[in-house]
Amino acid sequence: MSKKGFTILELLISLVLVSIVLLLLLRVMMSLEVINHDTTYASDDEIARTELIQNIESDFLENHLNGLQITQNEDQINFSFLMDQEKELVVEKEQITYDGEVYALKSSNASYDLCITYQYQELENDYYLVTFTIPVLIDGVNTTKMDDLQFTYLGLKNEYTHYPSSFSC
Amino acid sequence: MKKGFALLETIIVITFVSVSLLLLYGTFTSLVQNSKRNILYDDVSHIYQLYYFKEYLEMVGLNEMSTKEIRLLSCDDFSTSSCSTLTEEFGITQFYLVPMGNRGEQENDAMYSYLSTLPHDQDYDYWLVGEFLEEDTYHFASIGVMHDE
Repeated sequence: MSKKGFTILELLISLVLVSIVLLLLLRVMMSLEVINHDTTYASDDEIARTELIQNIESDFLENHLNGLQITQNEDQINFSFLMDQEKELVVEKEQITYDGEVYALKSSNASYDLCITYQYQELENDYYLVTFTIPVLIDGVNTTKMDDLQFTYLGLKNEYTHYPSSFSC
Repeated sequence: MKKGFALLETIIVITFVSVSLLLLYGTFTSLVQNSKRNILYDDVSHIYQLYYFKEYLEMVGLNEMSTKEIRLLSCDDFSTSSCSTLTEEFGITQFYLVPMGNRGEQENDAMYSYLSTLPHDQDYDYWLVGEFLEEDTYHFASIGVMHDE
């Protein structure tokens, strides 16, 4: 008797093999889903974040930060950095402007939180530590990446040193 | 006369497709791993924090330390209470002095996985490696240290 297609056994074996392959694919897709969550916050913004932190920290080191002033309006926060050459950092919900250069957020689901954290601490041997963080709010995504903008400065006190001891939003 | 596929033919094709998909899976897995690595290693703010931490520790004897093995440091190794203030403020949970070129042997450990990515920088004698805890996730960063003879 001639065969005209698959037998039930052949079909079953094929289905089992295809199922195994699909299960493996499913595992790959689940891994990619995790990555997709992390990349929802646009990579352009990651690059801008790195560039901004690098520019500001380089200025702190090269121009010797001696102090800063923080003022808050309804829709923006202004930092005035007292260095050899004074520079301004303006934080708004959608963008940050530093020394005249604008860093606008490209992710539609991200914004800067105007409730910053700031701390000034005195250390031994006349050193002091200044830290401030500009939080980045990202809707609906839990990223493992570092999104917030954290700034640090370790300095030696002198007659011109002038920092607010605390700041609350 | 047969008009459909034989079982053998079907199995050969499925095996071929499976091998191809498994190769793809391997490629994707390594991409996923690399992406996770990029997220957790050498964040710019951690590098600056570690730079300031190193600057401060150098004033209290970091450059005089020497080791041939990877050495887990603690603030008790330095005669300053500000060390603890800095680790707390920066979120540094552990910090190590790693001789240049020493990558350790415990491959499954997160820190040793990080060490395997560090280049050999001839300008420095050691890496100061910091482990940072950020929202239940460990991140790593490093900075070069010169040894004073």
